[in-house]
Amino acid sequence: MNLNPLKRRESNGTLAKFDRRAFIVEIRALVALAIIIIFFSLLSDKFLQYSNLVLMTRHVAMNAILAIGMLLVILNGGIDLSVGSIVGLSGVVAGYLMQGAPIPFTGQVAYPNIWAVLVISLIVGILFGWLNGLLVAKLNIAPFIATLGMLYVARGFAKLITNGETFTKLAGNPNLGNTGFLTTFAAKPLGIPLPIWVMIAFAIVFSIILNRTAFGRWLYASGGNPRAAALTGVPVTKVNIRIYVLSGFCAAAVGVLFTADLNAAIPNMGEFSELNAIAAVVIGGTALSGGRGTIRGTLIGAFVIGFLVDGLVLIGVSVFWQETIKGAVIIVAVAVEEIQRILERRQKLKSAS
Amino acid sequence: MLRKYKVIAAAAALALGLTGLAGCSSSDDAAGGTIAIITVDPANPYWKAEVDTAVATATELGYETTVNAHGNDPAKQTQFIDAAISAGVKAIILDPAGADESVGAVQKATDAGIPVFLVNAEISAQGVAKAQIVSNNAQGATLGAQTWVEAMGGKGKYVELFGNPTDNNAKVRADAYHAVIDAIPGFKLLQKETANWDRAQGKTKMELMLQAHPDLQGVIAGNDEMALGAIEALRAAGKLSKVKVLGFDGNDDAVAAVIAGEMVATVLQPIVDGTKAAVNQAHAYLTDGTAPSSEKQAIDCILITKENAGGLKGFVLS
Repeated sequence: MNLNPLKRRESNGTLAKFDRRAFIVEIRALVALAIIIIFFSLLSDKFLQYSNLVLMTRHVAMNAILAIGMLLVILNGGIDLSVGSIVGLSGVVAGYLMQGAPIPFTGQVAYPNIWAVLVISLIVGILFGWLNGLLVAKLNIAPFIATLGMLYVARGFAKLITNGETFTKLAGNPNLGNTGFLTTFAAKPLGIPLPIWVMIAFAIVFSIILNRTAFGRWLYASGGNPRAAALTGVPVTKVNIRIYVLSGFCAAAVGVLFTADLNAAIPNMGEFSELNAIAAVVIGGTALSGGRGTIRGTLIGAFVIGFLVDGLVLIGVSVFWQETIKGAVIIVAVAVEEIQRILERRQKLKSAS
Repeated sequence: MLRKYKVIAAAAALALGLTGLAGCSSSDDAAGGTIAIITVDPANPYWKAEVDTAVATATELGYETTVNAHGNDPAKQTQFIDAAISAGVKAIILDPAGADESVGAVQKATDAGIPVFLVNAEISAQGVAKAQIVSNNAQGATLGAQTWVEAMGGKGKYVELFGNPTDNNAKVRADAYHAVIDAIPGFKLLQKETANWDRAQGKTKMELMLQAHPDLQGVIAGNDEMALGAIEALRAAGKLSKVKVLGFDGNDDAVAAVIAGEMVATVLQPIVDGTKAAVNQAHAYLTDGTAPSSEKQAIDCILITKENAGGLKGFVLS
């Protein structure tokens, strides 16, 4: 009867936590990471140095935070191409507010303190995420198209706000009470850069959301089979909007961290980072069709990409090879899983006959 | 149901608004007609200065302008040239996307009877564009490298940040740097990384090179943005005072870094002068048919160090 074991298994997506195959894929990503670490530590004695591990993890953290947001969207069978632009836009908004924002009609200039800057920048990301969600969930526009459009809109706004300039006066002024942007958002509590702490915090919070809340169960359910989920009472539209809001929020957080890290708000910031985030999610064993994937896998995926890219620079591989190798690793990481699936299916057909 | 219509109506209004805006910007009712300005990326301060200068000069001379950016993509460049031809513009000011790739696009406009004036970068064919006004990158990079060599004390280990490999200027500058540096036996290039003219990439690559070579003493960068990224990495590593950084372009942030002693020197590309010249030559050609005296025009770059940095703002040295 069961002619397509593949399909049947995917409809079990609600049990993603216990999915044996997802687990195996995760192990595979972990093996890939181990290979990368061993390979580079053999080629460079600098690779495993503590300072280098912290540096590479900071680079990974930016992508990992984006990837966590991306994971939520992909779990629901969507995609969010706008995150890179939202990174740039929220970073530019933070930079703009730190320079002083003219209040319309009053001729005065507001210098919000850094927490207000943070909140407004995050709200910008949330707002764009919400617009993505409305376009996808209410207007039924394909996520690829809606977020592709938003990629250009958000990037355009970032360039409009800066008028092509780069904002570099981020230190604030003690007389205006807006100091501390750099010291706070590029801080190193316990010697570990803030982005790494944020990555850890986001990973914990989003793991709890996915595994312990109704929203998490709804997400896995509607990602696995939206129609069935809707019939069983899952508020599919609400879930669909919320994931884009959360993705926008993650992107905005990266935007603020990035701006503080670079000591400059540049409108081009975060360009193409949506692709790295998608790669991390996919390497982490998440199905692009939705319903299957974990935060843990996504983090491992982000480390695979980040350590690979940084390791290649560290051993001095030419930039053209860096890109080629990165692409090949993404393909191999996913191909291995598909090959395993095909073999499994053949074996089942054989044993059935 | 009503809600659904509201959403659709809002979307329709938005779409109308957008097309309305697009319609305004392409009107060419002005007496002088329209000049199309096609640049690389106005989000970069250098190209922003180019665009602002071109628009201001053309507006002063009584022309309408359209501005487009191809982002070094020859396919996009061709689209913008096609659009300019069908809009019937009077002249095109173009910062070309690649020396070989742009010949066809310029030829197309010339065949359609529209004069093309190139600024900032050149194309590999002559006699197609009316003028090719470029800053003398090799001369500028030589000046910069000489100053940097002096600051290094005539020897040392250094790394290089290379611009976008498809951009001819990246190679021209690097070659001129090395012509100066490689002639001196005391210098050793530890690593060369591409950072695509970009500040964030410059910082990331510099952070990693600092891990690989903690003893590096100098950085040569193909432009200011990459140099500024390197400076941020050095600042975070507490090595800013020990490492000599060389930039190129003369943008405002780099000038501030030169004044603060964080950057040894940068090289000003007289992009404002060059762009003004291009628009003025286009105007002369349109009014009485005077062609520029020579097609290839090189404008010398100016070395910017602590001594003269104070007088530089917005790519203009006073």
